[in-house]
Amino acid sequence: MIISTNWLADYVQLQAPTDLLVERLLMSGLNHESTRLVGSDTAIEIEVTSNRPDCLGHIGVAREAAVLFARPLHFPDPQPLQQGGDVASSVAVEILAADLCPFYSARVIRGVRVGPSPAWLIERLQTVGIVSINNIVDITNYVMLECGQPLHVFDLGTIRGGGLIVRRAVAGESFTAINHKTYVLSDQICVIADAQRPLALAGVMGGADSEITANTVDIVIESAQFAPLAVRAAARGLILASASSYRFERGPDPAAVDWASRRVAAMVLASAGGTLDRGVCTAGTLASHPATIELRFGRVAEVLGIDVAAPRQQEILLSLGFVEQWSSPEASQWQAPTWRRDVSREIDLVEEIARIEGYDKVPEDTPIAARPVELSRHEKTIRRASEVLVSAGFCEAMTRSVVNEAMETTQSPWNHAGSTDQARATKSFAETGPLSVSPALVRGADRLRRTLLPSLLEARAGNMSVGAPHGDLFEIARAYLPGSTPHTPIEEPLLLSLVTEGDFSVAKGLAEAVLAGLGLPSEADRCRGANRITFRRLFLDLFAPGQAAEIVLHAVDCEPERIGVVGIIASGIAGRFGLASAVGAMELRLDRLEFAVGVERSLHRPSEFPAIQRDINLVVDATVPWGNIAEAIRSGAGDLLEECRLLQIWQDAERLGKDKKSVVVSLRLRSTVGTLSSDEANRMVDAIVVACGRQVHATLRSA
Amino acid sequence: MASSDETNADGNSQACLAGLPAFVAEIDRLCADAKAVIAAARNEVDLEKARIEFLGARSGRLKGITRLLSGLSASERPVGGKHFNDAKETITAVFNEAKDRMAVAAAQEGGSSAGAAIDITLPGKQLRLGHLHPITQTIRRVQEIMSRLGFESVDGPEVEDQWHNFEALAIGPEHPARDPLDNFYLTVAQGVEPLLLRSQTSTVQIRVMENREAPLRIVSLGRVYRPDTADATHYPMFHQVEGLLIEKGSTMAHLKSVLRFFAASFLGGDVRVRFRPSFFPFTEPSVEVDMEWGGRWIEMGGAGMVDPAVLKAVGYDPHEVSGFAFGLGVERIAARRYGVADIRDFYRNDVRFLEQF
Repeated sequence: MIISTNWLADYVQLQAPTDLLVERLLMSGLNHESTRLVGSDTAIEIEVTSNRPDCLGHIGVAREAAVLFARPLHFPDPQPLQQGGDVASSVAVEILAADLCPFYSARVIRGVRVGPSPAWLIERLQTVGIVSINNIVDITNYVMLECGQPLHVFDLGTIRGGGLIVRRAVAGESFTAINHKTYVLSDQICVIADAQRPLALAGVMGGADSEITANTVDIVIESAQFAPLAVRAAARGLILASASSYRFERGPDPAAVDWASRRVAAMVLASAGGTLDRGVCTAGTLASHPATIELRFGRVAEVLGIDVAAPRQQEILLSLGFVEQWSSPEASQWQAPTWRRDVSREIDLVEEIARIEGYDKVPEDTPIAARPVELSRHEKTIRRASEVLVSAGFCEAMTRSVVNEAMETTQSPWNHAGSTDQARATKSFAETGPLSVSPALVRGADRLRRTLLPSLLEARAGNMSVGAPHGDLFEIARAYLPGSTPHTPIEEPLLLSLVTEGDFSVAKGLAEAVLAGLGLPSEADRCRGANRITFRRLFLDLFAPGQAAEIVLHAVDCEPERIGVVGIIASGIAGRFGLASAVGAMELRLDRLEFAVGVERSLHRPSEFPAIQRDINLVVDATVPWGNIAEAIRSGAGDLLEECRLLQIWQDAERLGKDKKSVVVSLRLRSTVGTLSSDEANRMVDAIVVACGRQVHATLRSA
Repeated sequence: MASSDETNADGNSQACLAGLPAFVAEIDRLCADAKAVIAAARNEVDLEKARIEFLGARSGRLKGITRLLSGLSASERPVGGKHFNDAKETITAVFNEAKDRMAVAAAQEGGSSAGAAIDITLPGKQLRLGHLHPITQTIRRVQEIMSRLGFESVDGPEVEDQWHNFEALAIGPEHPARDPLDNFYLTVAQGVEPLLLRSQTSTVQIRVMENREAPLRIVSLGRVYRPDTADATHYPMFHQVEGLLIEKGSTMAHLKSVLRFFAASFLGGDVRVRFRPSFFPFTEPSVEVDMEWGGRWIEMGGAGMVDPAVLKAVGYDPHEVSGFAFGLGVERIAARRYGVADIRDFYRNDVRFLEQF
């Protein structure tokens, strides 16, 4: 809303500089956007919140200013001379859609001279950014910007059948507006029609057919109430917002409906001549229900934390136009002014008192009592996991939750079982498609993602293409899956994903580090602890065949569950993002791991006795996986084995035999109750070798 | 290693001291000899000779003396052992000092042994540091400050129903904020209640209030979604942090004081805050919060007392408890804090951008 200071001075003489006016309006709820000089006038642009349609006109702003500067307010009471015939013989009005239009009024002026507006009117409109069209149209705009009530004027000569009908549009009916664009209407839209066709979109825009032209002689002045929803449906549905629809969506002052009509008539008579018909043609009932509200004076201090004396509270409300109906030392009852439909409850009155008294009076050093607080497991999990990856040199990315179709064609680890080399998958997944939203988040992106990995591949590719120092990224965000029960229509697993160089051991190592950070060491160095993590081979479209694993949690008393995947991205998919070299990737369901940070830690006192280190060199068939060898070592070792670390795997057909490999393992043995002797260590190594021989047909290769 | 003389001065060790004094004298002599020989060493060859003479593993004089140690009685042996160990440490330390002295001399002379000096201008072994996203860092900072005031961080679902995103927040069916064009509604089968990507994190506050009794202090945070065309100051996905306090007797004075504490902690120094009247459906009175930053008032977010209608909607009695809420746009404060002119940069994920935070 743009305010002309000259115009404002018609209603209230502030005798204060513009800056002070701007400041006081700002601090009482009318936010300042800009101030501009326009000729001898000043244009102040203010932001009016949606609850204050009264300030969408100069009189409303003048009312506020009069209160803030304690100055008297004057505005005209137009009483145009009615020298014509009875209005009923000129036009009839009928409302057929009372839910969309509670009240409609029409005045008629015959014999106007359409022409340019007087200079003062052109200047005022210019200050507030409105281009002058002709005297009649300018006057309707002027009065709307004066009191906030939108108006419309029809050329009476174009109305067929002698009457105006307010009705729903017939679905599919077409209408050409004064912008000379044609719209196809729906039955949600309210129109003003004559016997044959719509003449105006109620509260939004007039029609080309009935607009004021140089040849117009007789005019009909419309001033009405339209339902906010109907106006919005038309303005949004047809993408045809106007200053009029903006005001009707917020609800102008009911008392202004007739005032505005008289004001327009008086101004037309003054600047365009003509004769006003006697009376006003109306239909419907003016909807005006100012609220009656009780205010306990003590309530103000309870809400604001400051004391405002009862007489001061009354003074503020009276100055704002509230009418006191009764008062006692404790309370009072008020009727809200017609233009303040936003005020209907005691708390609303408290706010009125607060904004006029000024929030600067509210103290800013009132203490609040201390209360204990702790991070939730959810928060701790996120922080711990990101700490690990930041330490490992990763940058945190933030990518869009909604992606395009191309990024959603890859299988999600969270609703595709894939296949594993175990007898059965860890879980059966309902393989549903992605959920979608409307409108698209950005062009083409309307699918809620089910995995973060494609987004991270795109981000990595972006870094590669600009020659960034690296593209090692992680993200912690939600994915969205159709829910499995009616109570959870959508599931939102919290995922941690990362992309890095194309080396499986690097990606797996990162997964293990994050899990260990959360208190879930993986099988390699696990000695105790109830919850186990294992890796199983996984085949899923996203990953290169044979180069991926599912990460399985074996929690106490629970079925094994897939809580992550790790692998090398299939080259076809990496290529689609423009990634030429191999990419390692990992995705974990952090929401399923939150329990781990909640497990109480209790000290396992490190043994104070010395360790004995022994390296062994086992030769096994090349096909035997390390996991089986490690399992055999552990089964043979008993609880003196503190760590079993893989040093090297190598193959050499000549020295080892075809299809054989040498596996060099470093063992660290230690007892918690005494110093291990060399003999004890030897016996243990022997037992390990025997177990490996039995379980994976390993032979010991002498060093 | 034996710990102290006192522990060994028990009754039965007194009688057997005859062998010990001789042993100690021998040790002391050896120590003195070693110091003299090492001090006399002129170069690394001399020094190495000295090392072999005294510290040599096979036939060093110190090794030789261990035989005398085994000749002591059981009660003398701990004391003797301690003397022996002390001597060994002393000689080793003297030797190492001498060696260092020679290395320094050699390096300074730039002579033949100068190879020992490292080119300290060579780069260190690079340890690449990772970086949290600046948005995350900003959120963590807000969380950290608010936690000092007893506010607990909470999160909730991003796909929400009408009740939590609108109705419970006093945003009625006719409110323009519910327009399909202003929200990301899920396209789901008919007959199912419409769902949408949440347009504010107040939804989480509703969920917490529904499930917990007052008093309550929480900060809800996370991604929110509104269909704005992406430009330098808008993005259809962004982050909010919203605080909520519900306690008997809470007032706008508490709200202002909490926000001032926040502003002073976040911006540093004695920061002032200012309330301007505003309008939000779920708070009454509602205010815009400005904070003074670099001599200017900067808009930080919205706040207000929780509307009685909202308290009722979640099953609280507005006559019993009151509370306040405030919301901050994370991108906006992060952009200002770090001088990011285009908020789309936050979502480009360029490592060269991310590494600066």
